[in-house]
Formats: sequence, C-alpha cells, structure tokens
Amino acid sequence: MSVASSENIVVRSLSQIGDCGLFLLRMIAAIPRSMRHYRETIRQLWFVGAMSLIIIMVCGLFVGMVLGLQLYDVLSIFGGTSATGTVVAIAIYRELGPVVTALLFAGRAGTSVTAEIGLMRATDQIAAMEMMAVDPIAYVAVPRFLAGVIAMPLLACVFCALGIFGGHLVGVSWLGIDNGTFWSNMTATVEVVKDVINGVLWKSIVFGIVVSLIAVFQGYTTPPTSEGVAYATTRTVVASSIAILALDFVLTAFLM
Amino acid sequence: MTDSISAKPEDSTLVRVRGLTTVLNGKKVFDALDIDIPRGKITAIMGPSGTGKTTLLKHITGQMRGDAGEVLVDGQNVATLSRDKLFELRERIGYLFQNSALLTDFDVFENVAFPLRQHTELPEVLIRNIVLTKLQAVGLRGAAGLMPTELSGGMARRVALARAIVFDPMLILYDEPFVGLDPIALNQVLKLIRTLNQTLGITSVLVAHELEAIKQVADHIYLIANGKVVAQGDPKTIANDGSPWTRQFFGGDADGPVPFQYPAGDLGVSLGFPGKNA
Amino acid sequence: MSQRQSYAVGTGLFIVLGFTALGYLATQTTSVANSSRGPSYTVEAHFANIGQLKERAPVKVAGVRVGQVQSIVLDPGKETADVKLAIDQRYNQIPDDSVATIFTSGLLGDQYVGLRYGTSKKTLADGGELALTRPAQQLEEMLGKFFGAGGVADNLGGSYVVKARFTNVGALSVGAPVKMAGVAIGSVQSINADPVKLDALVTLAIDKRYNQIPDDSAAAVFTSGLIGTQYVAIQPGGSPDALKNGDEMVLTQSAMQIEDLIGKFLVSGSSSGKPADGGKSDGDKH
Repeated sequence: MSVASSENIVVRSLSQIGDCGLFLLRMIAAIPRSMRHYRETIRQLWFVGAMSLIIIMVCGLFVGMVLGLQLYDVLSIFGGTSATGTVVAIAIYRELGPVVTALLFAGRAGTSVTAEIGLMRATDQIAAMEMMAVDPIAYVAVPRFLAGVIAMPLLACVFCALGIFGGHLVGVSWLGIDNGTFWSNMTATVEVVKDVINGVLWKSIVFGIVVSLIAVFQGYTTPPTSEGVAYATTRTVVASSIAILALDFVLTAFLM
Repeated sequence: MTDSISAKPEDSTLVRVRGLTTVLNGKKVFDALDIDIPRGKITAIMGPSGTGKTTLLKHITGQMRGDAGEVLVDGQNVATLSRDKLFELRERIGYLFQNSALLTDFDVFENVAFPLRQHTELPEVLIRNIVLTKLQAVGLRGAAGLMPTELSGGMARRVALARAIVFDPMLILYDEPFVGLDPIALNQVLKLIRTLNQTLGITSVLVAHELEAIKQVADHIYLIANGKVVAQGDPKTIANDGSPWTRQFFGGDADGPVPFQYPAGDLGVSLGFPGKNA
Repeated sequence: MSQRQSYAVGTGLFIVLGFTALGYLATQTTSVANSSRGPSYTVEAHFANIGQLKERAPVKVAGVRVGQVQSIVLDPGKETADVKLAIDQRYNQIPDDSVATIFTSGLLGDQYVGLRYGTSKKTLADGGELALTRPAQQLEEMLGKFFGAGGVADNLGGSYVVKARFTNVGALSVGAPVKMAGVAIGSVQSINADPVKLDALVTLAIDKRYNQIPDDSAAAVFTSGLIGTQYVAIQPGGSPDALKNGDEMVLTQSAMQIEDLIGKFLVSGSSSGKPADGGKSDGDKH
C-alpha cells in the first residue's frame, strides 16, 4: 500500500513537471500572439513588480542592517571590521539578494497570480475569453509570466541596493566604521561580472522564470473549486521555494 | 466567413448537429444526436440535469469535440476548423455564461468593451458609443463605472449579455440564463432575450429548466434525455405529445423514465440480507 | 483610458527604479568604481617581495588612487618580482626617482603600491622604470628576526625536490605553496616526522624553471597575513652553487607562534604561560 502510494507520488510529481514543461512551451509559442496584449503585460508588471516593491525594499533594508550588525561583531574578533562593507556586499550580491527576493516574490506575487488565475478559471472567465476568441494563454498566462521574468531581476537589484544601504547605515552611522574604508574595501573586492552579473542578474532571471512559471501553471491547471485554488496557492509557495533553493545551488556551482 | 453565408443563403438552419456521439469519463453523453437550430428563431434545449445540455453548447462553440458525428455552424464543421478559423467563428457567436463570467479586473464599461479592444483598433470615441449603446439596451448605462463585485446576479447577467452582443453576433447561446434570479430579474432577462431576437434577428439557443419562462419566448423546444432527442415541438404542443418523457418532465413527476433511484444493486443485498429474500 | 495610463506610468517608474539600482550596484559598489577609464601609461618596478599584492590592486600617491597593477611576473633568472603599473595619463608628473612601496591597507586589508615622490625634475614616461622599491613587509619579518644567507642551482626536468628540516611546521600542510619573493615557485610534497632526529622532514617540489636558487638559501614557514594559511618561503642566499634535486636546505626557520611573538613584546602577554615550542627555535641548524 505504502509502496503503491509512494510510487503514485513519484509518478504524479513527474507528470506535474512534464505538464509544467509543456505549459512553458505553450507559453513560449504564444509569446508572439501576446505581443498585441502588451498593455496587459505592463499592467501585470505593475501588479507583480511595482506592488512588490515595498516588501522588497523593507526586507532588503533589514537584511542589510542585520548583516552589518552580525558581521561587525564577528569581524571585530579579528580586528577586521573594515571589511564589513565588503562582506555585506558579497553576501547580498551572491546569495541573499537573489534568493530572498525570489522567496519573497513567490510569496507576494506568485501566490496572488496563482489565486487570481485559479479564480478566473473557477468563475469561467478563462472560458469566457475563449468564447470571445481571446486566447487565454496569450492574454492571461503569458503577460503574467513575462511580467514576473522582467520584474524579478529589477526587484533583486532594488533589494541589493537597499541591503547595501542598510549595511552602511549600521556599519558607518551606528558602529562607526570609517565611511571611506567601508566603500573603498567594497569597491576593491566586489566585481561586476562575478558578483553583480552572475550573482544578482543571472540568478534572479532564472528564479523569475521558475517562480512565474510555477505560479501561472498552478493557477491555470488547478481544479476550478475554492479548495483547488487554496491547494494550488500552497503548492506555488512550496514548489517555488524548493526550486529556488535547489537551483541556487546548481547556479552557484555553474557560475562560480 | 462571409462566403459561407453567401454560399447557402437559402439555408434556414444555422446550426446542424448530425449523429453526434460523445463519451465522457466512460459515460455516453450523446448517442447519435440530431438537432437543427433554425435561423432567427429562439430554440430552447431542455432536459433533466446531467444530460449534457451545457456540453452541447460547448460542442457548438468548438470548446469540445465529439467522438463521432459532426456539428455544422453556418455551414462550417466546427470540429475540423483551424484555431484561427474557430476564433473567427467565435467572434460571431455570443455566449452567456451561467455565472456571467465577467472579468473581475475591469469595471462594467471595460468588460463590455473588452471584445472590441481585443479584436479591433477602433478609436476610443467609437468604442465608447458602442459600449454605451449596448449598456443602454440592457438598461445598465448608469452602472458603467461599477465593478463586477458591486453588481447583483441579475445585473451581472445583463452586463454579460451586453458583452455577448457587442459584436452583433449571428448566434447567442444562453447557458441557464434564469438560474438564481428573482422573478423581476428573470422577467427582465426574458424581455431582453425576446427583444434581441426580434429587433436584431439574432438566432438564440436557450438552455434552461424554467418551463414557464421558456414557454413565453421559445419558438421550438428540444427535450434531450439519455443522449437523444426524446421530444420536440413548439411550446404549446410538446407537452401534449404523450411520450412518457414529456409527461414526466413537464409534469414534474419524481419517478418515470428518469428514475428516482440512481442505478444500484439490490437493496437487500446492500443491507446484508440473504439474496433470496430480495 | 486614464486607468491604463496610470499603470503605464507606475510600471515605467518601477522599471526605471530597477535599472537605476542595477546601475548603482554595478558602478558604485564594484571594482568598476576604481577602474581607470581614461588612457594610462605603463611603468615597471622590481620588488624583492610582493607579499599578497594582486593584479588590479590600486597604485596610490598620498593615498589617492592614480592607477592599478597591470601584471606581476617573476624574472626566472632573478629573485625579484617584475610588477607593471598602469598609471592614469592625467598623472604624468610623477618624478622618475619616486619610491614604490608595497603597503597593506590595515592589518588584514589588501595590499597596494604606494608611490612617494622623489626630487628629480624628470617625470616618468611610458615604459619607464621605478628604480627605487621597497618590498612588502612580512609580518614575521617585522615581528621576528630576519634570517638569510646565500647559494646557487642546476638543471633538472619538471620540478625538482629539495628537503628541509624544521623543528616546528606549525599548521603547514601538504600542497601548501613554496614562495620566493612572494611568488609561488613550487609546493610542499610531503611532511614527515623524523623518528630519530625528532623533527619534521619536509619535501619541497620546486618548478625546474627556478633552478638558480643558491644552495645556502633559507627556508622559512610563514603565514599569509595574520590568519591566513601557512607556506614555505625561500630566502635566497649568496652561494655561487644552486640547489640540486635531492639537496637538503640547511638553513630553516620554523613556524612562529604568533602568541610567542607577541608575548616577547608584551611583558604581561596573555600567552606567556604557553609552552614555547617552535617560536623561539628559528634558525636551528641540522
């Protein structure tokens, strides 16, 4: 019995991943058709991107501040507090920036996209679009997907900038590290390609693709009931989080 | 699309269903179903719950495909149309969903304007005129600024109707338009269906259970059961055609050709009594 | 529609904000902020030891950045590191007798090249050379005693192996670099305890390119910085003969325990109670 059910889970997960991949192909095929709905993409960019700014900025600031505080404490053991800026920047660029932004993005924007599409399906809005000769993949799925892919790296950059600001606030303004030392050590060590391009941009673009795909797919394929939408929302968060952290490891290994 | 109209100008049948057979989840929904829907008339499709009336509408719009047989809409076989051709056809069909299916993102005005914005590049002034005209026709011009959540069920259905007719379609499919409406709203919708049919000449297909309401508007009634047409005729004569189906359906009997009991094994056996006692 | 317009404006603001943040990250917090954008000219400087100086490290005058380190190579024949400095064209008034020194920013910071102006009327030009240099200061050298002597070498294929005995190798591990004048020339091949002499026998594999090392050179176990890993530093001697495969280096300096060193200076040092193993036995002969 347990063997059968665990096999069942494996088969179900595999078929979900397969369906998800096929759905991605359908969306890619629909991208040219969705170009005429570019206004909808802009509107979704507002909802998933601009509306997530506040939470991203606040979290970025606090992550930077707590990093400044912790690293100052540890580095002071070695008399190396002048390296606080460097370590804050590297920690945020390479890991915390893209990963925390993606997790927040999955929780804030991913769930709302899943719930919204799921409810649109439950209330026949998707079917109504089909009936109005509007392709719901091109009108509903692709704009949300593209908006997520575009918004994620931008949000990650904002997160990182606020994180550096938070680290500076704690390190320089409160703990008294010299302002020039903070910046010069950072600029001497942090590199554009390795830290900003590979660390922040590539990772966050990949995370954006994965989180948006999972969110749209879950919403689009959920059973059109309130229970189904609730499960789909949960699955979006769970699957996104696992995918983000697993991919983070793979990407780090590749981009190092 | 216009050539198909001109090809058979004399054809008075807009939708022709021939030998449609569909199996869903192992259950035969349609068994060689034949239905003709005449142009410019209001045709009602009735039947016990679960006989696939909504499914039939989905076949007409190409959302579903049968396993055998064909559905011809305006001379075109829906099941074999390409995506683009199907979308062209759908632009000429209005569909009123049971739950209205208004887009919750937009207000009433934008909901009605949605098909126009998607399929045309009309100037804003023209879109405004068309939308307000259609809203006026359903009596909701004053509600143009409301969001769908602020509407009552009857109002939402009228907005959905305005949206369905915004392109002046040749055919409107009404899926359970009277469900959940109070008598006033029901009569308003009823009046709209009749007006649209008479003034614009739009062919209408009505799926509903409300016999009294249908008697007021329908020109022709099909009664479907077990995947077949079991009775048809105009509202006055159909109830008196003497078949057990019509007697049960229009008489509202609890038991008859449509059994009260869902098919089950012997009750005695189910309750654990010896088989011979049953 | 004004509603559509406001979305577009808000989304536009969001995109601009995102790209501003990206531009800020890329240009203000990374080495791009330091890299010279204008034209530059190259001068050479030879250092006896570059310590942890890296390519692209800054070149500073009076603490102001004027250029960066372009390349670091070891002259195979000599024991000096050849460092090329790219200096911004706008700083073309540097006297040609200026002194180049390798400094460390803070105790743990990265190293940089500092220039101190001389009095010459002539200025440095492209391809010029800074004749006066001062090498990187090793912490051990500053705190302990400097130790040295002289020697020479011969030719063998690949790398050649020499032995050295230390009373204490500290945290030295197999594979650790062997450096001369701060440039890696080989690695530690094996570390074994000698059961008879009761000291550590370390085998060093040295690149055959560096076959001119005097046979009276000294080997010392140093630490990179204060908390870095340990490595073997070769300090060239003055003998005319070079080290050959299988030779043993006679002069060695064992790993220093930083606690001992500091304890020497601070009378009430915290580590005075610690057993003094290798720290004081620098320079023992075998």
